[in-house]
Amino acid sequence: MSELRHKQVGVAGLYDDPSALVRAAVEVRRAGYTRWDCHTPYPVHGLDTAMGIPESPVGGIGLLAGFAGLGTAIGLTGWLSAWHYPIHIGGKPLFSWQAFVPIYFELFVLFAGLTVMGLVFALGRLGRWHSPLHDSGIMPEVTCDRFAIVLEASDPNYSEDAARALLAQTGCRDIRPLIEYEEEDDAFL
Amino acid sequence: MTPIDSISPQTSMRLRRIALILLIAGLHLSVPALLGAESRERFASAYLWGYAFLWSVTLGSLFFLGLHHLTHARWSVVIRRVMEMLAAPATGMLAALFIPVVLMLLLHGHFSLFPWADAAHVAEDPILAGKRPYLNSPFFLARAALYLAVWAGFTRHFLRQSFRQDAGDDAVGAVLRMRRMGAPFMMAFAVTVSFAAIDWLMSLNPHWFSTIFGVYVFSGMALSGLAALTLAVIALRNSGRLPEGCVTTDHLYNLGALLFGFSAFWAYIAFSQYMLIWYANMPEETFYIHDRLQGGWLGVSVALALARFVIPFFLLLPRRAKRHARTLVVVSVIVLAGQWLDLFWLIMPERHAAGPVIGWQELGPPLALAGALLLSLSRFLARRPCLAVGDPLLEESMRFRL
Repeated sequence: MSELRHKQVGVAGLYDDPSALVRAAVEVRRAGYTRWDCHTPYPVHGLDTAMGIPESPVGGIGLLAGFAGLGTAIGLTGWLSAWHYPIHIGGKPLFSWQAFVPIYFELFVLFAGLTVMGLVFALGRLGRWHSPLHDSGIMPEVTCDRFAIVLEASDPNYSEDAARALLAQTGCRDIRPLIEYEEEDDAFL
Repeated sequence: MTPIDSISPQTSMRLRRIALILLIAGLHLSVPALLGAESRERFASAYLWGYAFLWSVTLGSLFFLGLHHLTHARWSVVIRRVMEMLAAPATGMLAALFIPVVLMLLLHGHFSLFPWADAAHVAEDPILAGKRPYLNSPFFLARAALYLAVWAGFTRHFLRQSFRQDAGDDAVGAVLRMRRMGAPFMMAFAVTVSFAAIDWLMSLNPHWFSTIFGVYVFSGMALSGLAALTLAVIALRNSGRLPEGCVTTDHLYNLGALLFGFSAFWAYIAFSQYMLIWYANMPEETFYIHDRLQGGWLGVSVALALARFVIPFFLLLPRRAKRHARTLVVVSVIVLAGQWLDLFWLIMPERHAAGPVIGWQELGPPLALAGALLLSLSRFLARRPCLAVGDPLLEESMRFRL
């Protein structure tokens, strides 16, 4: 049987109600932590402000992508209908922007939508196979009825005692270490 | 923070003064307009223009008040009284100010507002003769009376229950009674507003028809109600009548998001109407749009698309803009100007085919009616607190966070 190595990668504090979490998030932010996160079963109102999360660039980049889609649509419809394969339809001008507005709209939305989706995955670092939180056992709880703050050991301010003290000071009664297990390279042999 | 209990009605001398100045200036311009034969006809169109604006703001606010009750909304309890203030003219003033329209219809020879009211003209026009069972003065007036009565009835109900809460009289029961009328109101509103739009605006050009016209007018109405609501909320907050902490940036964000959404809705409906007419290319439908793309009207049409959609849409696109009171004020002013322009675009080409004409003859009624609207708001503020102080959901609404 392979031996499991493990190391502590942080501390998690679990709360029973969302408003306690929001208040605690303000405290953690004020204490100067930078590598930390909250985990909740549903979006909690006011949590982004409490955590001090800056405005995401997703919207702005999505808008630019939308304009790229609009340009593509104008080029595509114009090139196809008026230049490459001109067909007169109903006596209307070859380049009838009125008829193409739905295409302008659709490609605007398509480009913006796909870009936003890609950015959300990329910036949210989604699609990781593994996170220490999966080993910790808190995931079943924070996807059900509890709210967690996780302070990561990689934070420059981090020390286990200070982190525990900070969480305790915010009224957290359930503080757990976050352990990451690493299997030996030859685990399957 | 002012305690909620201490909010009392407060007269706003400034609002009253502005209202009276507008009213007097408007009347001052209207009287000479009524004396000349040519200016009298221009006065008629301008009166309808001003009246339709007043109607849009009042019923647009009434729509959001009804929507608030229909959806059992909680966030908007803090601004419910402001909606009620803006909808209050529907209880009586809207009907009273319709009387000049009635007179202009009955004295058609002097005002020539609705072409179908001219019996000789109808007799030699087979299309209008065919529409006579619907487009005739008695039926038109009966319908208008019905619409005005329906709006007055629902508004009175909502306001009466709301004022009972102020007195601390069965507050929970009042909430339930208002909510119960939400759905019937919405159904009645949809039908009456569509028909009123057809009667009062579309029948100015009785040969033309568009099945989406009611929704088109409604989209502008909802926008004007929202813009007026946003302006009133911000003005009341800045003047301290709505106490600090009542209307938060999160409430403003919701108003901004609705303004943003309804600008896109207007564009969607306006373009749907235009594109279907353009595509089908049938002369009995296209002439209305064609008239509005000729001469000086082309510029008005382009300005309309900019003022109603492009500018508000891009100004409100960033999240920050929807939370920023000054941006919301700018957008609301643009939206209200857009409503004036939209109604001008609907009404005036029937009078001046060559291009937009605007002179002192056109300005009297809009100024007077805007003054009347503001006067009604100032009277409301003098009598009622601008917050629904008795609503049991008020505190929850104040705590609303996005």
